Amino acid sequence: MGRIKDSFERARNQESKTLITYYVAGDNNLNFSKKVFLKLLSHADIIEIGVPFSDPMAEGSVIQRSHERALSSDITFSKILSLVKELRIHNQDKPIVLMGYMNNFLSQGENLFKKIKKAGVDGLIIVDLPYEESEFFYNKLKDIDLDLIRLISPTTPKKTIEKIVKFSSGFLYYVSFRGVTGAKLSNFKEVQDKVKYIKSKTKIPVVVGFGIKEGEIAQKMSKISDGVVVGSRLIDIIQQKNFRLNDSLNFLEKSLKTFKRDVRKK
Amino acid sequence: MANKTNNYNYPDKNGRFGSFGGRYVSETLISALEELESLYKKIKNDKKFQEELTNDLQTFVGRPSPLYFAKRWTDKLNGAKVFLKREDLNHTGAHKINNTVGQVLLAKKMGKKRIIAETGAGQHGVATAAVCARHGIECIIFMGSEDIERQAQNVYRMKLMGAEVCPVSSGTSTLKDAMNEAMRDWVSYIDDTHYIIGSVAGPHPYPMIVRDFNSIVGTELKKQSKILFGKYPDKIVACVGGGSNAMGIFYPFIKDKEVDLIGVEAAGSGLSSGKHAAPLSDGSPGVLHGMKTYLMQNSDGQILGTHSVSAGLDYPGVGPEHSFLKDMGRVHYEAATDKEALKAFHDLSRVEGIMPALETSHALAWVSKNAKKLKKSDIVVVNLSGRGDKDMQSVAKADGINF
Repeated sequence: MGRIKDSFERARNQESKTLITYYVAGDNNLNFSKKVFLKLLSHADIIEIGVPFSDPMAEGSVIQRSHERALSSDITFSKILSLVKELRIHNQDKPIVLMGYMNNFLSQGENLFKKIKKAGVDGLIIVDLPYEESEFFYNKLKDIDLDLIRLISPTTPKKTIEKIVKFSSGFLYYVSFRGVTGAKLSNFKEVQDKVKYIKSKTKIPVVVGFGIKEGEIAQKMSKISDGVVVGSRLIDIIQQKNFRLNDSLNFLEKSLKTFKRDVRKK
Repeated sequence: MANKTNNYNYPDKNGRFGSFGGRYVSETLISALEELESLYKKIKNDKKFQEELTNDLQTFVGRPSPLYFAKRWTDKLNGAKVFLKREDLNHTGAHKINNTVGQVLLAKKMGKKRIIAETGAGQHGVATAAVCARHGIECIIFMGSEDIERQAQNVYRMKLMGAEVCPVSSGTSTLKDAMNEAMRDWVSYIDDTHYIIGSVAGPHPYPMIVRDFNSIVGTELKKQSKILFGKYPDKIVACVGGGSNAMGIFYPFIKDKEVDLIGVEAAGSGLSSGKHAAPLSDGSPGVLHGMKTYLMQNSDGQILGTHSVSAGLDYPGVGPEHSFLKDMGRVHYEAATDKEALKAFHDLSRVEGIMPALETSHALAWVSKNAKKLKKSDIVVVNLSGRGDKDMQSVAKADGINF
């Protein structure tokens, strides 16, 4: 397990928490998203590449629209893997994680995981992977050194948390509230308690995602966890600039620098 | 197949029908699904619950529904004898209410204060609005903005019964997107909300629960056919979109191998046109809406848009148990085109004075095509799953008539 583990260690050495960013491959077209990912790679610690799906059940409206734009730009799974290969030419150190829905992965057939690994991906997040299939996936990915990153939510019972951490690697992704991506955080105390409990059960880093919209929340969350995931907010920023490339990238860079400062220990 | 049929006991403990079904949802929903499953298992055989349900089915829905001999249509078709299981006579006009009267009782037992549902043609939305009004529970219906336009009358019916109708304009703005949106709402208000899925689709335990509540149709048919014919029907025909009316009438007969079961999907403009809603006839297995099942999808796993003249069949997936029964060979699945369904709609209206729903008309179209090939002594029962009043606009449009 290379890059993901290293990235958490690197952050620790810099007295910082890990900044993870999410953006959708192919939004607003393949080349545009490549430029965004390159920017993310140079400022964030881990990048998640969203695999667009026609029916993204767990996403709020900002990321839904992002998936729709990507699909109408004719993005395909093989184009996403080529994109990762190109990103790897520019950056060999930072972890790249694919985040998507079961059906898109299933459609790729038997050799999928090997192809993903070969392209330079370090881990997978499958939003709708059911618990009873996680052991199978975990072992399959472990064989080829890919991490299976699992989600834990406020409604996950303690007993289930103990089961989930057994078949997870890389990091654990704590969903900060009951809702879809991009909605608003409601109960900080609950997040704090839950993350504390998860951390008592595993040595795997725990990051918090969903609802990380402003620096203040990013600061609070990174104090109680190993890092934060920012997604909808970044897409928002780019949308505000109407996908004009240079404006978007400049605005994005500014925002990433702020988030980076927010996750640093005070 | 013989062995599998004799021991038919699905779903298994993981909510699987063979390799189909399961629970492919985000982690936040898992505990609510587990709560629903364990409550359902506990009260399923509870005497008091069953009494309450039976009473509602009799006095609110109007059960049992009659088994009607379509004599003039039989004469016209000049083949097997055709009987209709009259689910169109239920309160709110379709089989959908069999499920909602049951699920609202489950919601009350779980102490949920708010009910959500998705709807395509609006029948499930109306059936949900009705039970919520009766029990005084807040009701929110998600409906594709395109369907809202196509089914304006049903939207108004829901509102009259106090439901809030939320337009969904993501994706294709139809049933599948309404279901996505309902799931998103459910994740957000999971603690006090129950989601009444309207078909034998979605994550476990929904395909099982919706099937069980609808199987009153098949259970009644067993009794009625023993009395009327002294035996079970030779063939039972039902239309399949998500597949709840079909599962409801098929399920009690699965172990009775002498009964042929035929499901009819929507072939739209024709299977070869690609413009249809027939995943079992022309799709492949995949994962959508929390279940593994046959889907209409491209090679990258993106779900395809569907087409059918009937909004209720306009869905790219199908209940997982149907996928299992297809691969097992126990149920035979075919498809009828828009044109064939419309013809059957007109035929039954003219000859029997019964206007069927356009969904149901697909099952009738199969009978029109095949009755002549069967023995005159054969008994065919069609699940007349709904009435066609809601479809006046669509039929008139197809006939080139403007109101």
